[in-house]
Amino acid sequence: MIIPHPLSWILLLPMAAVVFLFIIPSSQVSLIRRVANVAVLLPFLLSVWVFAAYDSAVGGFQFIEKIPWVVPLGISYHLGIDGINGVLILLLGFCSFAGVLVTQSVKERVKEYYILFLLMTIGTYGAFLSLDIFFFYFFHEIATVPAFLLIAIWGSGRKEYGAMKLTLYLTAGASIALIALIVLYNALGLGTFDLIQIHQHLVNHPLPIEVQNWIFPLIVVGFGITLTLWPFYTWAPIGYAAAPTSVSMLHSGVLKKMGAYAIIRFAILLMPQAAATWMPVVATLAVFNILYCGLIALTHRDIKYILGYSSCSHMGYILLGLACMNIIGLSGVVLLMFAHGIMAALAFALIGSIDDQTHTRNLDELGGLAKSMPFIATCFAMTALASAGVPGFANFVADIMVLLGAWDHYRWQTVLAVLGIVITAVYMLKTIRLAFQGPLNPRWNKLMDAQTSLQKLPFILLLTALIVVGCWPSLILKNIESGTKPILQNVRLTTLRGQ
Amino acid sequence: MFPIIHWNLFSLESLITLILVVLIVVDILLPKTERKDWIGTLSFVGLLGLIGFWLTQRNLVGETFGGMFIMDSLAWFFKGFFLVAMVFVFVMTQQFFKSLGSRRNEFYLLLWLAMLGMCLIASSADFLLLFISIEILTISLYVMTAYLKSDKHSLEAGMKYLILGALASGFFLFGISFLYGATHSTRFAAIEQYVSTHSMNPMILFGLVLIFSALGFKIACVPFSLWVPDVYQGAPTPVTALLSVGSKAAGFVILIRLFFGIFSSWHGQWHLVLAGLSAVTMCYGNLAAIFQTNIKRLLGYSSIGHAGYLLMGAAAGSVLGASAINFYLLGYLFTNLAAFLVIVLFFITVKSDEIADYAGLSQRSGLLAGVLLLALVSLAGVPPLAGFFGKFILLLATVQSGLVWLAFVAAINIVISLYYYLIVVKRIYVDKPRTTSPIPVSLSMRLILVVLIVGIVGIGIFQGPFLEAAMTAVKGTHL
Repeated sequence: MIIPHPLSWILLLPMAAVVFLFIIPSSQVSLIRRVANVAVLLPFLLSVWVFAAYDSAVGGFQFIEKIPWVVPLGISYHLGIDGINGVLILLLGFCSFAGVLVTQSVKERVKEYYILFLLMTIGTYGAFLSLDIFFFYFFHEIATVPAFLLIAIWGSGRKEYGAMKLTLYLTAGASIALIALIVLYNALGLGTFDLIQIHQHLVNHPLPIEVQNWIFPLIVVGFGITLTLWPFYTWAPIGYAAAPTSVSMLHSGVLKKMGAYAIIRFAILLMPQAAATWMPVVATLAVFNILYCGLIALTHRDIKYILGYSSCSHMGYILLGLACMNIIGLSGVVLLMFAHGIMAALAFALIGSIDDQTHTRNLDELGGLAKSMPFIATCFAMTALASAGVPGFANFVADIMVLLGAWDHYRWQTVLAVLGIVITAVYMLKTIRLAFQGPLNPRWNKLMDAQTSLQKLPFILLLTALIVVGCWPSLILKNIESGTKPILQNVRLTTLRGQ
Repeated sequence: MFPIIHWNLFSLESLITLILVVLIVVDILLPKTERKDWIGTLSFVGLLGLIGFWLTQRNLVGETFGGMFIMDSLAWFFKGFFLVAMVFVFVMTQQFFKSLGSRRNEFYLLLWLAMLGMCLIASSADFLLLFISIEILTISLYVMTAYLKSDKHSLEAGMKYLILGALASGFFLFGISFLYGATHSTRFAAIEQYVSTHSMNPMILFGLVLIFSALGFKIACVPFSLWVPDVYQGAPTPVTALLSVGSKAAGFVILIRLFFGIFSSWHGQWHLVLAGLSAVTMCYGNLAAIFQTNIKRLLGYSSIGHAGYLLMGAAAGSVLGASAINFYLLGYLFTNLAAFLVIVLFFITVKSDEIADYAGLSQRSGLLAGVLLLALVSLAGVPPLAGFFGKFILLLATVQSGLVWLAFVAAINIVISLYYYLIVVKRIYVDKPRTTSPIPVSLSMRLILVVLIVGIVGIGIFQGPFLEAAMTAVKGTHL
């Protein structure tokens, strides 16, 4: 079966749904929900199809679509996928679909919620699919800003503060990165924002090392803020804690991966020599991420804060993997993006389903929930195991790959990173013990477990993805490696030439 | 020998004058008790006709009145800009002055006069004509600013604007006299020739500084922007809209003619000065906007911030820089006018411009809230809206000219501005309304609001054709 322009449809279908949602009156709640569910489901199916139809033996960019957009500046609407972003849109497909399913619990201002949620999804898809630097940034911002309203209106706790902090941090990072990208465009003098053309040019004519050396850190820090690079992570825990469930899922699961993706595409691919200089710094910051955020997670009593800091802590492994600059490390990073994304989305979805009923996420008030919600408790236990890197889940494979990749270059960092896994296990097991085990607080006698299969679907979907990939990693590793190999070949080529 | 006058080059201005005269006659003949807004309707029809006429002038190039008046692509672009902006200002006027009765007729006449001034500014090729055109615009703005004679804020605003405006005019004339002293001409072409063959001398420098300070008054750049917050707040909202879009754009068309035309060979000497002014202006505007509680005042400070962004294009001094200014103004037109139209419609029902009263607007009128949201985030520079691409090419032009530090200053300012725009957004969408009574919006106003939204989103997504229009506008000049 051949679908023409699948990547454009992934963007256009939800866009059409947004326009349609604007028109229909907000009282038609069930119609709105149905339209939104379909508008997320279809791109999900398309992304699965695209991922399956991608020919990893051939490699390179496939399903390319290119339309000149702003000719005088060399901007084009240019989509395509390779092994790396193919996995990422698959991740987004899973998380957005699970997210839209748990959005059933949103009862107020439903129409606006779905419109903003769809905009966020479109932006993220667009950013992953774009092979044009301008359009990457364009979609990146579309993905970032709706979160402000989503958190400020439907959030909980210090929602206005959290929303503002998140938006301003991400915009500040993106603006820094934007200027770095413009400087890059200008230094090349090619007059195009097309990533493939720029890359081909750079293979033969690398930028002078002085130029690379000051653009590279700007891109890493700019997009690193999205990736909660230490010490710029403080927006994340408060933002996730304040956000409504599906936004926490999408944000911690997928949106922050845009940062790592941008670092792979713009920093490592285009400026490999600067990478050799700067990556040891990144590896050290990664250790701070892992230990510092992990230790903070130990001190918190609010489960969403624990998960938020845990998410920041796990980004350390992604940063460490990026720093290794070898195949096993980089492939591990992409696999970890997938595994962590699914795991984080799953964890936030589970906590969301508890919070909807208890209106508290404080470990001291919860307790014994396994008795009243056995399904949710079981899923959470499995998520916690995945998060702590237990074999059988995709996270284990990814963690191992990153650590193996890092061992050669960064000995002490790797040792400390392993310590981080222990810390994760401590706070995750603590959460399970205090929230789900022990005597059942009589306040929670009437809690409802996920009952209908529609309610269970998002959790089962995400858990299945984690286990299947965990048991059969080559299912997606094959694709990932076809994407990461050319990047590193190029790195080796240019560094050799540089010497 | 008597010079030949090419009236066809001057036809748009002639038509505006003709319409103005007809409207005056109609106004005199109409009985004062007539409730129907004849002048408004006639103005609107006349304006749409003029836009049609303007489209036919696309390839008109030439000069007349002995080189005082030129018609080129830049003049054409900006005349269209002023006409389109005026359409929305007329709409606002018609809404805002509903209760004023026959007194609003004179207001329309003043608007036509202001439009004549702006169109003449776009075509001026001589400092004398330029001075007269600026005065035509500014004097009608003085009267309009103080038009609500029972409102003491309006009177205060009119007074402030008059005093500072008169000072600026004085500077301008003084500056022209210095230029004349050095070059023995007031004609742009003659001065340009003098500049290209001479190096900077104190006399010209002094003249240029004086002229720039008068321009700074128009575009609202620091330190000539002291009038902005009070005048923006006190003036009737349609006048505020005209000040923020029309008057600012008029200032920039002169700036483009001056720095990209006449004095372009001295680029090296002035571009750092402009860059510095740009940085100070955007920081001042955006930082001061954070503390505002009145929406018009907030937009006043934000307009200073935007003058700062626009000056980046001037500091860049390249073709891309000038095109970026044009494109940015185009997006700014739709964005700012959308915001002001919402403010007008909100004021009609609620009788307030305080941001606190905007609380929960989304629950009182989804459309007004939505348009204000789009306008504010477009001003902040969020894609896929017009303001984003404008900022993007301004940054591109700035970096291309080697002013990377200025680009970083702009980036910091974008974050600051996002902060105060989002605070207003929060008020509209998150806070609880004091009353839930809906705010009525008539069908025709809904239509106009949708046109403005289409403008904001359309320019932001299909940037290509608009950028090309902005680029062709500057290609015909001496760049």
